[in-house]
Amino acid sequence: MSAEFVFATAQYDSGDWDSAPLLPANIIDTIARYTEINVAPTGVIAPLSDARMLRYPFLYLTGHLPVRFSDAERRNVRQFIERGGLLFIDDHNHDIDGVFHKTATEEIARTVAPLAELPNDHPLYSSFFKFDGPPTTSHELNGWGDNLVHKHLLAVQRRGRIAVLYSSKDYSSEWNYHPDSKRFLSVDNTRFAVNLVVYALTA
Amino acid sequence: MRSLRRRLELGCRIGVFALLGWLIGTSLFPAPARLVETASTTNLGERLSSWTRTPTSVALHATLEAAPSSQAIAWLAALRHAGHSVSWSGSPAPAVVVAEPVVDPNGAVRVNVAAPANSRVTLADVAGAIDSARVGLLGVSFTVPLTVDSLVARVNQQSLAVAKPADVTPRAVFVVGDAGWEAKFVASALEERGWKVVTRFAVAPGVNVRAAEEPPLDTAHVAAIVAIDSSIEALGPVVRRFVEQGGGIVLAGSAAGARVVSPLAAGSVGPRARRNVAANDTIGLGTTGYFPVASVRDDAVALERRASGVAVAARRIGAGRVLQVGYDDSWRWRMAGGPGSEAAHRDWWSRVVSSVAYAPVTANTQSRTFDAPVASLFGKLGPPRPAPVSSRGTVDPRLMLALILLLLLVEWTSRRLRGLR
Repeated sequence: MSAEFVFATAQYDSGDWDSAPLLPANIIDTIARYTEINVAPTGVIAPLSDARMLRYPFLYLTGHLPVRFSDAERRNVRQFIERGGLLFIDDHNHDIDGVFHKTATEEIARTVAPLAELPNDHPLYSSFFKFDGPPTTSHELNGWGDNLVHKHLLAVQRRGRIAVLYSSKDYSSEWNYHPDSKRFLSVDNTRFAVNLVVYALTA
Repeated sequence: MRSLRRRLELGCRIGVFALLGWLIGTSLFPAPARLVETASTTNLGERLSSWTRTPTSVALHATLEAAPSSQAIAWLAALRHAGHSVSWSGSPAPAVVVAEPVVDPNGAVRVNVAAPANSRVTLADVAGAIDSARVGLLGVSFTVPLTVDSLVARVNQQSLAVAKPADVTPRAVFVVGDAGWEAKFVASALEERGWKVVTRFAVAPGVNVRAAEEPPLDTAHVAAIVAIDSSIEALGPVVRRFVEQGGGIVLAGSAAGARVVSPLAAGSVGPRARRNVAANDTIGLGTTGYFPVASVRDDAVALERRASGVAVAARRIGAGRVLQVGYDDSWRWRMAGGPGSEAAHRDWWSRVVSSVAYAPVTANTQSRTFDAPVASLFGKLGPPRPAPVSSRGTVDPRLMLALILLLLLVEWTSRRLRGLR
């Protein structure tokens, strides 16, 4: 085993955790494309109920359905956060009235702490590429979901670092495509993922 | 018969001259005192004040089974300077205590006690007992996070006292590495333990995530460098100068292979030792493997050995210290280790950095952080000697005069009986 970044998708019992199956490969491609970070070529699935999820300090969690952690999942997530992991949650519904948003934010408040708005000058937005805040997604601009352009991400911070990052922007839809299709984009829309990973690895 | 009488007269005359000569000699050169005062280990403290008032003609002797306090030794030395004949005998067990500040944000004190094997050492401060230990081979070491005033180590009935050394405020720790979990969690662990951490993480060619204000690499600003991997190369030859000036450097994983630091390293970097880790194994430090320190240099010391070789080795370069640590993924221990592994990881890395970190020298003339009473006894009073024999002093001169007169009377009577004048 050598030290490397492994993109891990969190598997939880209550919902459709695998709703963005192309996203991991696309983000891995982005990381390899822009940085020298030693990234594993394939992602892994990390069941939250299994303590081995602690082997992956960066976890991506998404879905459309309600999020209700079991006791084991809650215990492991709590430990994951205490030990310094970063949990990135993205609402695949892009709907603050949707069940994912309501249940996931509630579950995080219960397991870790309530989410709060992350200021748009947070180091996350300048850790690699420069952003003025969370980049918008086509789903926001097309009026889908809650028909809102969310100006902030939400976060739980611990010891001055983001421990849980929550997005209502639906990056799961935005980044869920084959990496080869990047060539059709004038501006790579996955660049913010580099900031996420670099922040996780350096902050 | 006649001859015998003449011899008696001659003997009397010689005796008279000898006694006169002795009387003149003792008046010109008085004989030294022969009164001796003695004390033992238990009552020396009480006797010192009375000894101070005794005339200098009285010899002072202490029979010591345990070395007295440094105060008592200084008192005896002062009496000797005042003109007393001071001596000691006995065989107190030699012991030494040294207190030094630990370079740690929480300000601990390390107390090293050297004493004969199997001695029991008890450490206390004014607030009470702190810890105790039995000496294994040469001595014991205590790390005391908090002390009140001075520290006293009791060894074989001896009390060795040292002042609490002045706290050292550690300077920044510079963590350099490629962006990755090891670099991130080493920096986090040190920060969580209270160290001021400055980071430089290489993300892409020519792109580093670094502190807004990176301090100059000298001991006025940085206490230690932690090199996570070969990206230390980017710092260049300034690293060597920093270490020679007294700075510390930790070469983790394969960092010792980098060209700028390989001459400083305790050894070369061996091929990574890999171990078979089962899916359900609890991960600890080195569970998943490490880079052994190969070809450990003659002037380096192996500090930790594992089945595949040396895992940690240390070396001095100029005024600085180098620690080569073979572990390259200690973050797995923190994240996926057993209960308490996060705190253990934090403490381990803090100790690693503390062992090499530069500590500014503070002149502390007010307090003594070193005590070696037996050595002090030898230094101030010389080696042990048998107690001097007490005597009653000089002979009374009147008695001598009477003896002279008696001898003269005998000589005169003898001559008169022979018919001489």
